[in-house]
Amino acid sequence: MDVDIKLRVSNIEKSFPGVKALDKINFSVKKGTVHVLCGENGAGKSTLMKIINGIYKADAGEILIDEKVVEIQNPIKARSLGISMIFQELNYMPEMTIEESLFVGNWPINKYGNVDWAEIRKRTITLLKKESLNYLPETKLKDLTVSDIQMLEILKAISYNSDIIIMDEPTSAITQKEVELLFKKINELRDRGASIIYISHKMDEIFKIADEITIFRDGCVIDSRAKEDYDMETVIAQMVGRKLENNFPKEDIEIGEKLLEVKNLTNEGNFREVSFCVYEGEIVGFAGLMGAGRTEIMRCLFGLDEYQSGEITIKGEKVRIRNVKDSIDKKMVMLSEDRRRYGIIPVRSVKENVSLGSLKKFIYGGRLHAKEENDTIGDYCTKMRVKTPSIETSIESLSGGNQQKVILAKWMVTDPDVLILDEPTRGIDVGAKFEIYKLMTELAKQKKGIIMVSSELPELIGMCDRIYIMAKGRIAGELSRETFSQEGIMRFATKTTS
Amino acid sequence: MKTSNMNKIWSDIKSKYSIFLVLAVLFIICSVVNENFLSVNNLSNISRQISVVTILAFGQTILIISGMLDLSSGSVLALAGVLSVSVYTMTESLLLAFLVAIIASVVCNIINGLMVTKYKTPPFIATLAMMTMARGAALLYTNGQNIYQIGDYVKFGQGSILGIPTPIVFMAIILLVTWYILKHTVLGRSVYAIGGNEEAANASGINVNKIKMKAFIINGIFVGIAGVIFMSRVNGGMPNGAIGFEFHALTAAVIGGTSFTGGIGTAIGTLAGAFIVGFLDNIMVLTRVNSYLQQIIRGAIIALAVIYDIWAKTKRTKRKLGNIEAKSK
Amino acid sequence: MKKWLAVFLVATLIMSMLAGCTSPATNEEGTGEPEESGDKVYRVAYVARAQADSFAAWLANAVKEEADKYDNIVVDIFDGQASDSTQNALIENAITSKYDAIIIQPNNGEAQRPYAEKAVAAGIITITTNARIDGIQGASSVDADPYEQAKVNAVVALEQIPQNANVVVLKGPPGNFHADARRDSWQKEFFDKRPDVKIVGEEIANWNKDEAMNYMETWVQANSKIDAIIAMNDNMAAGALEVIKDDSRFSEILAYGVDGTAEAVLLIEEGVMTSTSLQSAYALASALLDTSNKLLTGVETQIDIDIDCPLINKDNVTEYIEMHKRAGAIR
Repeated sequence: MDVDIKLRVSNIEKSFPGVKALDKINFSVKKGTVHVLCGENGAGKSTLMKIINGIYKADAGEILIDEKVVEIQNPIKARSLGISMIFQELNYMPEMTIEESLFVGNWPINKYGNVDWAEIRKRTITLLKKESLNYLPETKLKDLTVSDIQMLEILKAISYNSDIIIMDEPTSAITQKEVELLFKKINELRDRGASIIYISHKMDEIFKIADEITIFRDGCVIDSRAKEDYDMETVIAQMVGRKLENNFPKEDIEIGEKLLEVKNLTNEGNFREVSFCVYEGEIVGFAGLMGAGRTEIMRCLFGLDEYQSGEITIKGEKVRIRNVKDSIDKKMVMLSEDRRRYGIIPVRSVKENVSLGSLKKFIYGGRLHAKEENDTIGDYCTKMRVKTPSIETSIESLSGGNQQKVILAKWMVTDPDVLILDEPTRGIDVGAKFEIYKLMTELAKQKKGIIMVSSELPELIGMCDRIYIMAKGRIAGELSRETFSQEGIMRFATKTTS
Repeated sequence: MKTSNMNKIWSDIKSKYSIFLVLAVLFIICSVVNENFLSVNNLSNISRQISVVTILAFGQTILIISGMLDLSSGSVLALAGVLSVSVYTMTESLLLAFLVAIIASVVCNIINGLMVTKYKTPPFIATLAMMTMARGAALLYTNGQNIYQIGDYVKFGQGSILGIPTPIVFMAIILLVTWYILKHTVLGRSVYAIGGNEEAANASGINVNKIKMKAFIINGIFVGIAGVIFMSRVNGGMPNGAIGFEFHALTAAVIGGTSFTGGIGTAIGTLAGAFIVGFLDNIMVLTRVNSYLQQIIRGAIIALAVIYDIWAKTKRTKRKLGNIEAKSK
Repeated sequence: MKKWLAVFLVATLIMSMLAGCTSPATNEEGTGEPEESGDKVYRVAYVARAQADSFAAWLANAVKEEADKYDNIVVDIFDGQASDSTQNALIENAITSKYDAIIIQPNNGEAQRPYAEKAVAAGIITITTNARIDGIQGASSVDADPYEQAKVNAVVALEQIPQNANVVVLKGPPGNFHADARRDSWQKEFFDKRPDVKIVGEEIANWNKDEAMNYMETWVQANSKIDAIIAMNDNMAAGALEVIKDDSRFSEILAYGVDGTAEAVLLIEEGVMTSTSLQSAYALASALLDTSNKLLTGVETQIDIDIDCPLINKDNVTEYIEMHKRAGAIR
């Protein structure tokens, strides 16, 4: 612990009006190690990382690199000090091309003082080839999948040859295969002598990649140890400050009537001849790699996209779904994988977000009945355990988990029979995940049918009654609870022929 | 404890109603600076003077909240106005003249709406095109000449109802209508939702195109009424009237806290924004500020008002965030 | 959806056809002429400041009517759209199209000067009007002198405006030749000679009636005594008068304008407005055509004339009401 400290933060404090976000933070990252930061959302990890990356300014304390005090006023300064950061929320410009995005802010200059596009092209092609990504450098980002964009971000950060690389939940949007690729990269970087600060909620990942683990809670460092001195239970306990008795609150619920039946549903280019069904009280999982067509099916069911052929039957009635309203009318709703894009209206209140799906319920004589609305919304927020100072609070100011619960509340007001939950726990902390699982169980008890799409196999295995596994736009297999296993699912998911 | 509570209430007022604070401060300053400012007549004058632009601004508010805008309102006002005046001189029917203005303006706005919803033209471009077309149509119809001798038509803009000048009555009614729509109807909620996040609104079962169309139609009704008041106030059919009014209207809405990123804005805020500009113009003429200097001051005050408003609001969100994080501990 | 598009396209088409009628129509008449008479028909390009400017539009209409009286002249009207660049492009086009004469009503004299010079250099007869561009070698001009227009009012105002009067002044857009020259004339011919008169309000109302109304509404709040309105055009004078028409405090107010618009002569007839001076589009148009004819037929090579700007007041207003009635502006 003497010579090989790369980055040290000392007594860092940061307050936002009304709250202390960081309180006398001390921790250090060794050269050539992967240092994992754990903590619930709002624990202060991201704030600290933003201070290190020059986005926020600390109120007190010092940052030392190679034991020398540095001033990091902005991200450009941070980059020049060898720090680069991969953000959790993807903020990319859809119209930008791959090569433009890779070199933004860091353009090579030719001898005339202009941006050297030939050089950019050359370097991009080399980089893409090296990473075996089959894209042309001039492909626009909007034509890529989310996981490819995330990979590009990671490549970009690595390409700066930084000594300190901060990764804020880099795997929340990428596939299992890419995760392995990423870990390979991380190991290479570590061997090269770089220090990686890795923020994650995923326990299996943490224990796979970490050299050291630091736990944050409520703006303080709770503990910091080498991986060998930790086990999963301890990490979780330290993060939440209490012991979680059971990771998955799964209960045995009696399976009732058939609610939803889908036959030979086809959307050319995305999925073909997909058939499945969902019963009352059942949680049905959809597993598969990114791009297997899971989200695309759900979008068609919910009326966001059109399907070319196939049959949808809800409660014995054949229905044709042309738009979202059709789907809601047939009592089928969806929680989208992309909460920011399809879920929340960021600038509006919790109340307005919740009532949006069922405004007609509160109309009397052409007028929204304020009291009726407030009461109902308040009621559902309580039922869904939304933590908010008031229903008039802007949804933006809630944590990701609470936002997710707000959207669940929105759909519950419509009294649905079938709930489609696409990646319901993406990007939310452990405590909130558990809450979502509990809500799912309660809903199942109310005889609702639930479809759960997820890329995290443990939660599918933990929560579902049946799992359909998709590969290349087709259903490759179906497993029932007794036969669940990660290996079994992966075997179907990676099937090359169908 | 008590003082900190008071502080909290005060800072709440400051952030939530920041633009009204600006208005109040401006009002007090104006009253002190010139003794003629604070008289019933002068205040009624200001209200009358801002009425046309404010009515346009209410339409803009609804459109901006839903993530659109209308650059054509000044021109459509002129077209609707000259058609209305000319129908009146032909038929002597006030009712018919009024209806013609509204129909003409609504038709223009339906075209705007179709361009935006069916053909996916950005509202900026669609209404820019309409701005040129409507002005051209107004000039073509009148051959570029003003229509005079419009007789009783002036009653729309120069008369009064229960002692209140008609433009103010119209402005008040449209304020109430806008407020009601935004606050108490499904349409209003949908407008906020679409402006806040169009894709999420669609994914909540809202028919986005239908709502956008309705927003344009309402804007059309407002613009038509503004056209009648304008022509009546200037006692003539002026095809060149109201040039640039769309920008005055946008200014009032934006000063009033309507956000160009969509999803945020209120009718009452827009009214406050319009009055800020109205007070400012009035006091500068009363105190005889040099006319070139007036333009500089007007621009500077507009910038300052908006900067203050944004500053006060950011402070509020930060504090709210703080509260929640503190609570979740 | 398709139906709507069709309706929209048809509407646009009809509108464009109607709009088109104004200029090409004269063209067609013209092309028929030469075969009948055998005489040379001269093509004249009239580059208007802006069809959206009511005086400019009136003048353009008058020029067209006047041209019908000449068998040997065909006039094509072009709209400068109140833009220097549009107007300059139109002049260049007219040179390229080898018109026999180009009449320019400049948007901004200095900006069009080089293009007018180009036209002269190309051997095309060039006439500037309303306002003239001074000092172009070989070019002719027909104008009404803005200084003179204001002066005829200022001279009578010297007698009419009482001692120690309070007056308000409404100005046109700054930088506009007519706006500046008229204001300058009032300064030299009136204010400099009457130091007792106090200006209690002076604002730029951009020739607009509604802006003038807003200023007047504020002025009457601050001043219980205003003896005269001095406006640089009739529109603004009418706007100011609109505000005080029912106000007994101002029943004796004097009001001066320039232009002699239909509205102004009606107000003078009513006894509300004091006087204006005529800037007659008809007089300008007939002088323009007469000048064009003389230059084209080689009777003369260079002409600079100013049309009269007669004072219109209560005594002679009937004559001008008749003029507007003939033009259809007054019923």
